[in-house]
Amino acid sequence: MSARESGTDRNIAGLVALTGLALFAVMGIAGLVMRLAQANVLEVSPTWFYPLLTLHGVGMITGALLSGMGALWFVLRTDVALSVGRMIAAYVAILLGTAAVLVATVIGGFAAAWTFLWPLPFDAAGQWSTWATVVFLVGVLLVGVGFLIYCIDVLEQITRAFGGMSRTLGVDYLRGRDPSPPPPQILAGVVVAMAGIAASAAGTTILVALMVYSFDRGAHIDALWAKNLTYFYGHTVANLTIYLIIGALYVLLPRYTGRPWKTTAPIVVGWLLTLIFVLTVYSHHLYMDTVQPRVLEYISSASSDASAIPAAVVTIFSAMMLIWGSGYRWTLTSGLVYLGFAGWTIGGVGAVIDSLMPVNSRLHNTLWVPGHFHTYLLMGVMFWVFAFIAYLLEAAAGRPARTLSAWVALGLMVIGGYGLSAMWFAAGALGVPRRYAVQPPGTTGYSLAASIFTMIFAVGFLVMLAEFWTLAAAGLSQRRMTGVLDPWPMSRENWLAFRQRLALLDRERFGREPSVAPAGERAPDPAPGPALERARARRSVALAGLVVAIVTYPPIYGSAENDLTIHHLIHAGQFLAGGLFGLALGSLAPVSRRMRGGGGDALALVLAIAAPAAMLFAMAPRIYGPLEHHAVLHAAYHLGMGILGLLAGLGCARFGRVAGWFVLLAAVSMALLWAPGVIGA
Amino acid sequence: MHLHYGTAQTLVAVVFLVIALALAVVFAAVAAHAGDEVQFARVQAVGYWIRKRWLAFLVALSVVVVGASFAALPYASGSGAGRTRVSVTAGQFYWALSPAQVVAGTAVRFLITSRDVNHGFGLYDPEGQLIGEAQAMPGYTNTLDMTFARAGHYRVLCLEYCGVGHHLMEGVFTVLPAGQR
Repeated sequence: MSARESGTDRNIAGLVALTGLALFAVMGIAGLVMRLAQANVLEVSPTWFYPLLTLHGVGMITGALLSGMGALWFVLRTDVALSVGRMIAAYVAILLGTAAVLVATVIGGFAAAWTFLWPLPFDAAGQWSTWATVVFLVGVLLVGVGFLIYCIDVLEQITRAFGGMSRTLGVDYLRGRDPSPPPPQILAGVVVAMAGIAASAAGTTILVALMVYSFDRGAHIDALWAKNLTYFYGHTVANLTIYLIIGALYVLLPRYTGRPWKTTAPIVVGWLLTLIFVLTVYSHHLYMDTVQPRVLEYISSASSDASAIPAAVVTIFSAMMLIWGSGYRWTLTSGLVYLGFAGWTIGGVGAVIDSLMPVNSRLHNTLWVPGHFHTYLLMGVMFWVFAFIAYLLEAAAGRPARTLSAWVALGLMVIGGYGLSAMWFAAGALGVPRRYAVQPPGTTGYSLAASIFTMIFAVGFLVMLAEFWTLAAAGLSQRRMTGVLDPWPMSRENWLAFRQRLALLDRERFGREPSVAPAGERAPDPAPGPALERARARRSVALAGLVVAIVTYPPIYGSAENDLTIHHLIHAGQFLAGGLFGLALGSLAPVSRRMRGGGGDALALVLAIAAPAAMLFAMAPRIYGPLEHHAVLHAAYHLGMGILGLLAGLGCARFGRVAGWFVLLAAVSMALLWAPGVIGA
Repeated sequence: MHLHYGTAQTLVAVVFLVIALALAVVFAAVAAHAGDEVQFARVQAVGYWIRKRWLAFLVALSVVVVGASFAALPYASGSGAGRTRVSVTAGQFYWALSPAQVVAGTAVRFLITSRDVNHGFGLYDPEGQLIGEAQAMPGYTNTLDMTFARAGHYRVLCLEYCGVGHHLMEGVFTVLPAGQR
């Protein structure tokens, strides 16, 4: 019995998505408390407000991330042999990370906001201790590691199933070389995975740097460097919560329109542009840092504006075309999907406006900012998350949600959600700063109105949850534990056309066993190959490693006179040399065979993730500094850099050609990023 | 200090509101026709025709708007010759400005830094309108150019979260009437 038929896919995806929903609910309560505090309805001291604010930010993004991961995983599993083990590992890591953040904020009082901008985590003004900072950083790192594991798996399995980058990104299709391109959710998966891995590299680097500072106060961290890495990491991950769930919409929306959402040239171009934009927009968070290189601001501004075009012209427009005149039936799920597009669009406009530098000079870090991101994250992403969960439950129950419940829930959430955002937009235009525990005089009215709107939203949310419960109970009682959407038992006069459409879709998508190897019609490879399958490739890579080693190893004597940044770049070269050797070594048949199976896979992940992090820790001035004047120890240290690279390369070899190289290069980039940012006192 | 809507911010908010309402109308219109039964080929034919023009419109709009924004950057330029330099140092949880006052009509270059964590120098005119801002970052000096035509007490609020006293950080920059010292 396949995983789909046994319901494993739905159970895992459902668990992950529901956990994200639970996180959202808890963080929503924190949000309401904050709004009531700002309205002077509740008395919450700043020593509690700011930890709550910190928890709310991290928790909400984590919840949205988790739910999106579950949704995309579910739809990808139709065509891609994604790993159940890795999904569970990612899930556990994220849960542990969330728990750590909870402890750090609620118990430790950590309140440096989700941005943890250096040096605030260590300049607590007496409000929290270093242990809370460390626990918080570990927590965020664990969430990042979980997402990284997920991204590695998505990239590896998609490229194994569909071919290399040029096919999986649709480039072959654009060039007329691929008559049957991958479905659009595959494009979404690849873009999310690549951007996620890149973001993880930056995030791990800044998090480790801060952790190093916790035990090595002699480490000097450059504030501008820290700000760049923090925002590249945070913005990109938050941005990816949108693209994760959109991947699921490619499958969800056709259920209700009866029109399949196929890969087209505009969709391919849209995703290629999105990949570029998502990695180049982050500097709009640094518009008010005039020391930021101006070219980054220009790039960011152009990207931020341009990123709206694929969304508006391809994704949203295509969705509207699919919906128009499709005989669309309004259910809880279909309503949430539709409203999500509206939320994403409207919130996106608010963001794009703020991304213009002259405008930003009047709106930066005012309440306009939570205004726009709450619109597209709450009324966009979270509505789509609700839709995915509603979809699973309606399928399990064999019927849609009750109409009255759906309309009440949707109506209240729309009124409450847009009202909440509107109050932020209005207060932001007034110039009210964001992240104020106590609002400026004369502005608490906005907070009071926002609190009321939040409560209206909450009532709608609870009505929806009650309907979820009813559907779940119906589903359990019917023991419908299949992963396939069964045709609903609907009354003929109301749902005939809809049922016909579902049957058509089921035949198209589920009437056959999913092929995981459309590329060349290969059968799924039960023994996935390593990164470098050909001996010639292994020799070339090993030779390249040797060349890099020759270039980077000799400068040992007199290294104390070298500029520290240059020296760290040399360490990056040593790590790269080791990584290339590791990639070649790990691709040898005897080694590759040992890395197969669950244990080998876990080891590969540990090596690929831990070795680069260890490399960064080893570059702490307190560790590195004393070795500079001991030639033998210094040489051993450099050798150690290479060994860490070797271990990382060994792990990466397990991920196949595309993901293996991508993760290794991301690991090396961590050392390159570290070099200009962390030096001794 | 009571805040007041600035002219620029009001214009931006109105533009956003108009666009948001227009989008709401569009989404409502699509929703109204979602339940109809129309051949998809017909929808595609009309849709592709609209989309080409929609794309052209958005690209043109983006080029114009972003181009205009590049031509109107809010940043300090030049050496600052002829400008009175005002050093701004932020700390938890205070502002130190030196000098803390100038005469009306003075062109000022604020040189902004922090002695501890990141802060945000947010300058509000005597009516409470936010008229400019820049970050205060440890180890760096950000700049902000302003010319103060009007006398009065200009307030400084913190626009970058900096800890438990973030909301308490308020400073004053005084612009004296012309001729007064």
